[in-house]
Amino acid sequence: MAQTEAELLDTPVAGRPTLILRSPDFHSITEAVAEPVERPAPIGWWLFFIPSVALLGVLGVAVSWLFWEGIGIWGLNVPVGWAWDITNFVFWVGIGHAGTLISAILFLFRQKWRTSINRAAEAMTIFAVMCAMLFPGIHVGRVWVAYWMFPLPNQMDMWPNFRSPLLWDVFAVSVYGTVSALFWYVGLIPDLATMRDRAKTRARRFAYGLFALGWRGSMRQWHHYESAYLVLAALATPLVLSVHSVVSMDFAVSVLPGWHTTVFPPYFVAGAIFSGFAMVLTLMVICRRAFRLEHIITLRHFDYMAKIMLVTGTMVGYAYAMEFFTSWYSGNPYEFFTFMNRALGPYAWAYWIMVSCNVISPQIFWSRKARTSIPILFAVSIVINIGMWFERFVIIVTSLHRDFLPSAWGYFTPTMWDVACLIGSFGLFFTLFCLFVRFLPMVATAEVKTILPQADPHGQAGPEREVRDHRAALAGREPSPEGAA
Amino acid sequence: MAFDPLRSLRAMPLLGNRLPEGPYYGVLAEFATPADLYHACERVRDAGFTRWDAHTPFPVHGLAQAMGLRRSPLPWIVLGMGLTGAALGFVLQWWVHASAYPLVISGKPYFSWPAYVPITFEVGVLFAALGAVFGMFGLNRLPMHHHPLFQSKVFERVTDDAFFISIESWDPRFDPSATGKLLESLGARSVELLES
Amino acid sequence: MVPARDRVALRPEQAAIPPGHAWNRLTVIGVVCALVGTVACALLGAANPKQFFFSWLVSFLFFLSLALGALFFVLIQYASQGGWGIVLRRIGETIFATLPVMAVLFLPLLLGLRDLYSWTVPGAAEHDALLRWKAPYLNVPFFLIRAALYFGCWSFIALLYYRVSRRQDATGDPAASARLRRLAGPAIIVLAVTQTFASIDWIMSLTPHWYSTIFGVYFFAGSFVGFIALLSIAAAAMRRAGLLDTVISAEHLHDVGKLLFAFTAFWAYIGFSQFFLIWYANLPEETIWYKARLEGSWETVSIALMVGHFAVPFFYLMGRAVKRRGSTLAIGGAWLLAMHFMDLYWQVMPTLHPDGARLSALDAAAFLAVGGVFVAAAAWLMRRQALVPLHDPRLAESLAFENA
Repeated sequence: MAQTEAELLDTPVAGRPTLILRSPDFHSITEAVAEPVERPAPIGWWLFFIPSVALLGVLGVAVSWLFWEGIGIWGLNVPVGWAWDITNFVFWVGIGHAGTLISAILFLFRQKWRTSINRAAEAMTIFAVMCAMLFPGIHVGRVWVAYWMFPLPNQMDMWPNFRSPLLWDVFAVSVYGTVSALFWYVGLIPDLATMRDRAKTRARRFAYGLFALGWRGSMRQWHHYESAYLVLAALATPLVLSVHSVVSMDFAVSVLPGWHTTVFPPYFVAGAIFSGFAMVLTLMVICRRAFRLEHIITLRHFDYMAKIMLVTGTMVGYAYAMEFFTSWYSGNPYEFFTFMNRALGPYAWAYWIMVSCNVISPQIFWSRKARTSIPILFAVSIVINIGMWFERFVIIVTSLHRDFLPSAWGYFTPTMWDVACLIGSFGLFFTLFCLFVRFLPMVATAEVKTILPQADPHGQAGPEREVRDHRAALAGREPSPEGAA
Repeated sequence: MAFDPLRSLRAMPLLGNRLPEGPYYGVLAEFATPADLYHACERVRDAGFTRWDAHTPFPVHGLAQAMGLRRSPLPWIVLGMGLTGAALGFVLQWWVHASAYPLVISGKPYFSWPAYVPITFEVGVLFAALGAVFGMFGLNRLPMHHHPLFQSKVFERVTDDAFFISIESWDPRFDPSATGKLLESLGARSVELLES
Repeated sequence: MVPARDRVALRPEQAAIPPGHAWNRLTVIGVVCALVGTVACALLGAANPKQFFFSWLVSFLFFLSLALGALFFVLIQYASQGGWGIVLRRIGETIFATLPVMAVLFLPLLLGLRDLYSWTVPGAAEHDALLRWKAPYLNVPFFLIRAALYFGCWSFIALLYYRVSRRQDATGDPAASARLRRLAGPAIIVLAVTQTFASIDWIMSLTPHWYSTIFGVYFFAGSFVGFIALLSIAAAAMRRAGLLDTVISAEHLHDVGKLLFAFTAFWAYIGFSQFFLIWYANLPEETIWYKARLEGSWETVSIALMVGHFAVPFFYLMGRAVKRRGSTLAIGGAWLLAMHFMDLYWQVMPTLHPDGARLSALDAAAFLAVGGVFVAAAAWLMRRQALVPLHDPRLAESLAFENA
């Protein structure tokens, strides 16, 4: 094991690093991923599931009371008309973006390491989007006419305002949820077929078989399937960029200092990827240990994920710096005041939590040791998510609580119902995720099999072979025959 | 078994889905590794068979070319659907804001095309994605929960770690014994003749 | 085994421009263009110095952005340990190695600061409260110090990466790659920050009252598209000219085409974000910049930019076949290079010609002068070096690269 860990942390200068450890064959991959789903749930699963369901219950109670009594049970006031509700919305949508990035964008960049984590990340996306959609839904006040948000013909001849970013949100997030679910499902089909063929009981065979659509691994089907997968990845990439850009436009199209700034779209997208990867990391640290998948979800995967968090965290830091510089450069006293107020005013405590969590803490990932240390990865990923929640809170509340008219200045304090809705949403998320890992294969086994060396039909050809041939070519010799030293 | 697995196929024959006249569905051969399968596929393709297929637990790199498959038409379907969706989204917004219920919003003209861009884009992507998924289902004739190949016991491992070639009996070059021997000569681990 | 038709090989004699090859004349062509351009600039510019400085600024920014895009491309290849692009990396290195020369080409602008930037005019801040506020940043000494800083950083990074890469040709030392990879992260950060503030200083401050937090990203997007477009032309042209024709395959061209497609869309996304948010909020202090670009014939240019820099290349580069053939890809690249120039022209010129676009012979003269020097410098370097990083550890992987 020491040998494998050493080769694991070594970055080869030529050739590609080993992604799946212990040189498994195809069958052992299937076994490793499918077996935890087939046996009865261990105690550990129940220890996560029961509290999650309890928190889900808290959410149910909070939302019911919200519908009954109204938005007044939250701490919203004038001037702070949006606070935890929209913070939570943007927080969850942001988390969802990592799944699509891993599935779609890393696929387009041919990053093979994504295959170990993409199934779980995509599932996380769908659940995060469901949590996200909850908040705009419940915060409207008159929930019983929430269907007015959709362009349904009606007897009043009224239509939603398509020119409002709030409506773009409705479309963007629902399209995102739909496309993510479709992408996830399409990826699941071959693995559902695997579960179907391994099923021991009629009920399982029927359930998995129904959703596997009769998949039989036909190459003619794989052919169209791969085309669909590539197209979906190519579609999901601009989609994920657009969704969080549209979410950022909720703020950026206003005239409020601190909200109205042109860098918001790419800045929000970078922040979303940042927080999403942190959440994937948190979940994978737990799951790989729980399901004994350390040889499939390896420290090298975490290394890459930490690097992406470092990159996106730096982009977020860049945006902070640009906003700050421009708040001065603009010469707009309101703009400048807003930024001074963030750092030094009544919400300074939130601002500095945000800066230390988002800009300072990920810097630890410059160090290779930090990127491959499970305790540091776990701790920093949680810190980053706390920081990203605070970032949205700071943006929303500090710009609202002190805007143009000092007589309208105020302060927002959350009530227990704000808190209940937030922690309840975590209940929803973790309940769904627990159900996912219980009943569905957590790793995309078909995709992981494609990256094993045995999957290459061209025998032992590979980068090591190419390097030998290349050196031979430069030295004027013929390339060595297959397999020879 | 009295249960007829091909009943769904008989009930709704799809284009080009002719059913076997004889007693057999075809021949199923198992191969040990992707490399064996790859080379065998090239030979089967070169031997002139048309009604045949390879079956793998994961898409094998380059196998589509080895089988002589043409590029999938799916991207065209997706492009068409995407443009349709974008057009629909744009026209809906234009119609609502400039024709059906015009309102002056933030002092902008009725036809403010920049504000229509986000939803146009989203609806375009939605339709394109639906086109990709359902187009792929259509091209793959999915769902197809019943298929003669599922009779075979060995075939259960196709979703695990086994690789197969199946040659259907209504291929003009099919012969119940010769085709099986050909596949054996190509390195098949086992060959099975399947009833229809 | 990789099929023979896709198997590319590296013959040592393919590593350099053979003697007597037409491309050896590129340096001379560049020098001639530069001389013609300089003489034209001198003659025409004497009559109309303001136009000269603006034309020079546009052409200077154009070629500088290509060099900065090249630097970014190579740094990203190192940081991400990308394998496919190794065969193309030397092209990028040659282009960014001209950055010290660009520093020299910046100097003529210093003679025209008063013509270019209204805030440099003495007494400008007297009646302008905003300029008084911005004076700690917008003052000539600090401006000059920053310019020196930008070129210092860029030249340092460029020369470091160029020299180490070339030295690796001779020594074959894999530790060089590892070292450059480790430095790539910090180098990218330095590049991002300096590039942002350079674009603020040299383009955004043409309209000193205006500001946009996304401007640095916008400049980056344009410069990256410009470089990939140039790369596509260079790769296709080299193949056509018999240099590297067995090294750069359709697979590499395909990847370059995909990058070009993706970053065209990215540029449009950033450009539209900037426009859209300013349009929607309709605040006068922000809309002035776009209003100026919708006056008279500038409106036509704005529409041409949307259609030509986004819509047309988006649909053109969508198809697989277009990206895999050198000729069709190069046409797309050439189109986008022209669009990138138009983009910079559209950003800079309305300050000089607020009523509408007025093309001038000085635009062409400055383009010849700056471009000639750029081409001459890059071509001179090309003749003295291997055309691919001969002993890069990942070269074999790049040679055998195959698209999905």
